Amino acid sequence: MGEMNIEFNVNGKQVRVSAEPNKTLLYVLRGNLGLTGTKDGCSSGDCGACVVMLDGRPVNSCMVLGPQVEGSSVVTIEGLASNGELHPLQRTFGETWAFQCGFCTPGMLVSCYALLELNDHPSREEILTAIAGNFCRCTGYQAVIKAVEQAAAELRAAKGGAGND
Amino acid sequence: MTESAIVGQWTAAPGAEEIVTGKARYCPDIQLPGLLCGKLLYSPHARARIRKLDVRKARNMPGVFAVITHADIPGENSYLYAEPDQPLLVVDEVRFQGDAVAAVAAVDERTADAALAAIEVEYQELPGIFDPLEAMQPGADQVVQGEDNVMMSQMYRAGDVEAAIASADVVIENTYRTQWAEQAFLEMEGGVGLVDDEGGITVYSSCQAPHRDRMQIARALAMPESMVRVITPYIGGAFGAKDEAHVQIHAGLLAHAAQRPVHLIRERRESMLTHVKRHPMIIDYTTAATKEGKLLAVKARVIADAGPYTNSTHEVLNKCGEFIGGPYKVENVEVEKIGVRTNNPITGAFRGFGAPQAAFVYESQMDDLARKLGMDPLAIRLLNGVETGTKMYTGVVIREGTAMKASLNKAAEMIEWEKRDQVERRPARHLRRGFGMATILKGSGLGRGLADHAGVVLEMHRDGSVVLQSGAADMGQGIVTVMAQLAAERLGIGMSSVRVVRADTAKSPDAGASCASRQAMVSGNAVLEAADTIRDTLLTMAAGKTKIARDRLDLKAGRLTVDGEPHELTVKDLALRAGIWGYPLHAESLVHFEYPTDVPDVTYRFSQEVFQFCTQIAQVLVDCETGQVTVERLIAVHDAGKMINPGGVYGQIEGGIAQGIGYALTEELIVKEGHTQNPSLENYVIPMAFDIPELEMEVLEIPEPLGAPLGAKGIAESPIIPTAPAIRNAIYDAIDKPLYELPMTAERVLPVPDAGSIRH
Repeated sequence: MGEMNIEFNVNGKQVRVSAEPNKTLLYVLRGNLGLTGTKDGCSSGDCGACVVMLDGRPVNSCMVLGPQVEGSSVVTIEGLASNGELHPLQRTFGETWAFQCGFCTPGMLVSCYALLELNDHPSREEILTAIAGNFCRCTGYQAVIKAVEQAAAELRAAKGGAGND
Repeated sequence: MTESAIVGQWTAAPGAEEIVTGKARYCPDIQLPGLLCGKLLYSPHARARIRKLDVRKARNMPGVFAVITHADIPGENSYLYAEPDQPLLVVDEVRFQGDAVAAVAAVDERTADAALAAIEVEYQELPGIFDPLEAMQPGADQVVQGEDNVMMSQMYRAGDVEAAIASADVVIENTYRTQWAEQAFLEMEGGVGLVDDEGGITVYSSCQAPHRDRMQIARALAMPESMVRVITPYIGGAFGAKDEAHVQIHAGLLAHAAQRPVHLIRERRESMLTHVKRHPMIIDYTTAATKEGKLLAVKARVIADAGPYTNSTHEVLNKCGEFIGGPYKVENVEVEKIGVRTNNPITGAFRGFGAPQAAFVYESQMDDLARKLGMDPLAIRLLNGVETGTKMYTGVVIREGTAMKASLNKAAEMIEWEKRDQVERRPARHLRRGFGMATILKGSGLGRGLADHAGVVLEMHRDGSVVLQSGAADMGQGIVTVMAQLAAERLGIGMSSVRVVRADTAKSPDAGASCASRQAMVSGNAVLEAADTIRDTLLTMAAGKTKIARDRLDLKAGRLTVDGEPHELTVKDLALRAGIWGYPLHAESLVHFEYPTDVPDVTYRFSQEVFQFCTQIAQVLVDCETGQVTVERLIAVHDAGKMINPGGVYGQIEGGIAQGIGYALTEELIVKEGHTQNPSLENYVIPMAFDIPELEMEVLEIPEPLGAPLGAKGIAESPIIPTAPAIRNAIYDAIDKPLYELPMTAERVLPVPDAGSIRH
């Protein structure tokens, strides 16, 4: 199978890769671009370890073909920190022990990041919904929920908005 | 020492930033120039004779650098957890679906797949042996020719069981069945092999036992162990299944054959078909008691389906038998442990190591007994529970057993056990609510008579920074954090000053396997010993410099302290002086887990003697129409001895409970005629976030007197153990139907006895 050029934006940088059209976005990120932060836990869309943001929405990158992201914008775990500063979620994940082995973390963090981008005051139910496709075998999810709640509170405080609790 | 500055405090793991930024490298992330793709060819049959195996075509394909079969293994063709009966590559007969027959290394994945397809294998399918009860019969066809299918049959007796049963007021007898359960760590097994500069082999290995891996790789390559190096990168979970080696030996063999680096990572389906599962067991169990509820005897026969190869079947059955009486005073015990070979999946270590099966049985029996006697489940457990000083039927005397009853009482208080009947039991016509408890014990450490040791190397540099080298694999359980905390605490420095080098056999002394909830204790003690040596040098130097009596000096928060008050000298100053004056701040330690020698009559072999006690109480809601069970509340009270790292302790409890809920309700590898029907994360149903209630936990800190650093003991396994029986007892309470088989799926919950009334 011949290769084709795919041009898209990843973590704020425009990139152009050449890949066979049947390769997944996960493969392109890890293989072509060396962005190995995003993990492969099943290659079948069941585990959520490979979740990335695609045009503002979380997707399993093993379920997206490379050519589908032509012209799109992708954010991976490597792109969550800005100017060397960790996103509040990245800090609270460490502080609350929201991971143990850390292999689900790249996908889990991106799913939570996607939630907080839309909603900085999520309920427990909304957090559970956001991570419903992310499988974690170590933590039992409790610390993840705590990490998201803490990060959300920090984000609200940083905005200085009224009605924070 | 004064109060802890670091031990007992919430602290992020060293390496947390690497994980949250995606920089942490696991086996699949390792990239090397010229890295080849390795793959294994597996049997499509559960049992078959290999009539022909021809790899010539595959070898001659462009881009293929190595194709190996059993004939190409320079050394021993076997795994060696305990018995060398599982081949790395099959010689003449495949005995389960996960047996590998050949391995290839090629320039890329597609070429490797094509090479696998070009290998010609002719199988003669043989009738498999799939039922352990049939396999046990005399004259049964042998799974391994020349070997008895009954690979283990041991009887252990304490007291006089038959007499006790004869004298009992009440006898409860049931047969229980448990399932094949899958560890489902998120990072599949992997190894990256390469030829190093001296012609030796280096393997990056996703494992629990790097030094045992080294031995196994050397053995397969017929190379001295000194020429083999095993490095653990970040490891994405293990839960027992990476204790025995998997593909890291093949990665070493392929790298050696190709003389190029080789990447060998299992895919999910392959992973689920090949690695060890939790043993399915059939357990006949008899409980005898007085009419007051006092236990008189326990009699158990445990039959484990081992699959074709031994792996850790002896050890798992041994632990199952060790805990089969539960955390109860019972003097008359008879336990028969039988391991049987079949052509089903191989079995071995999975968190709890035989104790979850035992606990499902003894805690179900306890509720059945309480019901029969009209007693409260809490009262009957308190009546029979062990205490400090109780001599177990194994001969072990419990040195610290306060937590058995303390955890029961605390958990009961948290859920308001005595008021549970005031809670609505039929919130809707089709719904039933129930409460159930389970309390367990599980040992920490390998057990009496086994080599249970660990070493570390610790070095403080002139700038006060510290490097800690340990061979203890961190698969996520957090031993790296615990070791860093202990070192920082003893040296009076911050966590950020301690760098823990992940296990590397070229640098780190052997710490044994990360298993049996042992590393926090044994590697923890090794760190304390090494840190004390360096601390001693620093304080001696400080005393010389300041002319202040040594016993008034301490190290804290980066400074020397005098009578607890900060002095102007910093730890860094002292480290620099030591460097200049030639006092080495370097220490090595080797610690053996100690068992007291003043207990002569421990009769059960390899008994553990530090115990994790815990109690869990479940509140469930059962849908009588669908059979669905929802865990509404789960209370967990665990004893950690002392929490070194609270984040890690709570994490172990939460994660263990989640696995326990899966084990109780949904998780089961369905195996038909040796073929696993659901080798995917889609069809092997693991709890997701919505399946876990908000957990209510309490951690007790009752210091462990024996060989535990600062009183802390391993707790990693206990959280998964009581969950299934607690849920089982809650279901019984809800629908008045006892279940004797795991998992408790809708099919087994239905029909609900009095559900007729809800039908229209």
